[in-house]
Amino acid sequence: MNESTLFLITFIFYILAAFFYFSFLFSKKENKAKKGFKLAFIGIAIHTIALILRTFESGHAPFTNMYESLSFLAWSSILAYIIIEWKYKIRKAGPYFMLIVITLMALASSPLMPKNATPLIPALQSYWLWLHVSVTLMGEAFFAIAFITSIMYLVASSKEKKGKAKKSSLSSAILDSISYRCVAVGFPLFTLGGLVFGMVWAFYAWGRPWSWDPKETWSLITWFVFALYLHTRIVMGWKGWRSAFIATLGFLAALFTYFGVNYLLAGLHSYA
Amino acid sequence: MKSFIRFFSSVKLAITLLIIITAASIIGTLIPQQRGLEEYLARYGQWANLFHRLQLTRLYQSSWFITLLLLFSINIITCTLTRISPKLRRLFRPTIASEAKKILAYRIKDKYKKPWKLERSEEEIKKALSSSHYRLKEENKENKTFLLARKRTLGWFGSDIVHFGLLVILAAGVVSGFGAFRSYLTLSEGQILPVPQSNFQIRLDKFETEYYPNGSVKDWKSTLTVIKEEKSLLTKTIEVNHPLSYEGHVFYQSNYGLDWRNPAVEIWVKKRSDSSFLRKVEAKIGEKISIQDENIQFSVTHFIPDFVINENNQITTRSLQPNNPAARIEGWQEDKQIFSGWIFAQFPDFERIHSTKETDLRFELKDFKTSQFSVLQAAKDPGVTWIWVGSAFLMVGLTLAFYWPSREIKMILEETKGTTEIVAGGLASKNREAFQAEFEKIMSHIRRSK
Repeated sequence: MNESTLFLITFIFYILAAFFYFSFLFSKKENKAKKGFKLAFIGIAIHTIALILRTFESGHAPFTNMYESLSFLAWSSILAYIIIEWKYKIRKAGPYFMLIVITLMALASSPLMPKNATPLIPALQSYWLWLHVSVTLMGEAFFAIAFITSIMYLVASSKEKKGKAKKSSLSSAILDSISYRCVAVGFPLFTLGGLVFGMVWAFYAWGRPWSWDPKETWSLITWFVFALYLHTRIVMGWKGWRSAFIATLGFLAALFTYFGVNYLLAGLHSYA
Repeated sequence: MKSFIRFFSSVKLAITLLIIITAASIIGTLIPQQRGLEEYLARYGQWANLFHRLQLTRLYQSSWFITLLLLFSINIITCTLTRISPKLRRLFRPTIASEAKKILAYRIKDKYKKPWKLERSEEEIKKALSSSHYRLKEENKENKTFLLARKRTLGWFGSDIVHFGLLVILAAGVVSGFGAFRSYLTLSEGQILPVPQSNFQIRLDKFETEYYPNGSVKDWKSTLTVIKEEKSLLTKTIEVNHPLSYEGHVFYQSNYGLDWRNPAVEIWVKKRSDSSFLRKVEAKIGEKISIQDENIQFSVTHFIPDFVINENNQITTRSLQPNNPAARIEGWQEDKQIFSGWIFAQFPDFERIHSTKETDLRFELKDFKTSQFSVLQAAKDPGVTWIWVGSAFLMVGLTLAFYWPSREIKMILEETKGTTEIVAGGLASKNREAFQAEFEKIMSHIRRSK
């Protein structure tokens, strides 16, 4: 079985997982969510094999073009979600989060993304490719969960204010704290992978650690937004909607760094 | 001075600066940086001059952006200094004595009586706390003992270490800004060039381009030798991502190109009247060549890889790629020039030869060989080391701030008539659930022991 078949099977499992998560959302039956979780788990297991196969087929890290990178981001996101759900039991975030994963998988399978593994250009032949990309994307996956829980917070708190909240639903206070914990994981990972490893690699490949290339600058902007999140929250005691708002901005900045910069701004990072 | 400190130690200033710097950084990604004025005029028209005057076209190097970074640094320094001294006091000279009322106001607390003397209680409690890795400080007052048990107090300084790391990185940026020197060295094989701002030279021994089976470039490799006082000290093959470092100078494979200064040209000489006549000649530029059995000498005087006649009617090359190779030849008979002109590899029939004497010979430009030159970036950047030092502090600080939460337990032991009353309360900077479990474990251990 080859990588593209496995990728397709993975995609099907993620869609099934999303389906069960959504039926849990509407039926409120816990076991549906558990099924969704199991399907996502099987999905990521197959996905892992697919990524390993890809690595062997191409002979390099499985994130050197947009297709590979999207697939890897989907993998990181599922992994991050599995960790968070297992730790904090936030099944309610499952359906929304699976939507993000499915979007990533759908984008990866779109015909616009060239899927064939091409030999690595000289600039990418470095083990820093592994460290820089994988750690950064892992950090971004946690930002994505922080984003989902922040949006859920905004909805939950407005319901609570109107007295419409159901007993079974997650309280806004819990969502607020989970969102913070995701940032607490994502921020150090993003700092390490995106900024520190990025600078080290840039030094070896381009001869200087920092060049104010648009992608570099946008990752710094993302970092600033989350720094703002942490300072307003920890020092000034901002919580609730203001925190949720900044976390959302931070995720959008991360999304733009990942996606927008490649298509809208020209720079050194033109390959991925 | 006081108002200066108050102004710069405010978190509101930090947040305002952070927002302004973020906004400026965004603008810098929307306007392409460090381009020529013509490009800005073409792109933005009238606005280009305004952008130029506001330094938006080299925003990250502009005086106002650097001023912002400077203000931000002063802000970080004052914030850190004003916040670190109470923490240091709390670490080295903490207040140990407390009131039972205060301790019982903690969220995590316990109160218990044990039929033990004070010494015995102290001993048991200390044992229980030490086995959970708490470090103890105590104070005694008549029949009372105050205990302060703490662990992972380094966690308090996580944010300070992060800020220190950031300051080191910013300072490294200043060092790079003033002290870094970058230049590009273009070398052909065998060539030696002095390295700017150093007392050594570098020689390119070999340059090669490797290809994948599909024809795309796999790598560029330059074998370099460091030469000092005519001695070869070090030889290393560099490629993209693998530079050579020597005495603070780093050499990167940066670019490559074809060296047209000294090509070898292959010329076929034919006869118009005799199609069986063919002489293959390999010529260097300027080399005089006699053709066998013919009373004629010729030489190639020029070679141009991409022949074009520009608007000033001058012959020049359009690019450094061999898109339209052309050679200029001259012919002599007994020291008298009889013809000169251009021949073209792609257009063998299109010859531009001016002859003063009719000749039966035809010249065709068949092939050309040239060496490639390698372009190295030579960088000397004393700031780089400090960026790595700052980054290390940054990561250690972040880890401490998020994953090394301090825990603190305060206790008052008071003996009355052979019975000790234990009042205990705990504070944790993060992850209170886990701390509560640990606290309860310690307390129940004391309760159960006989």
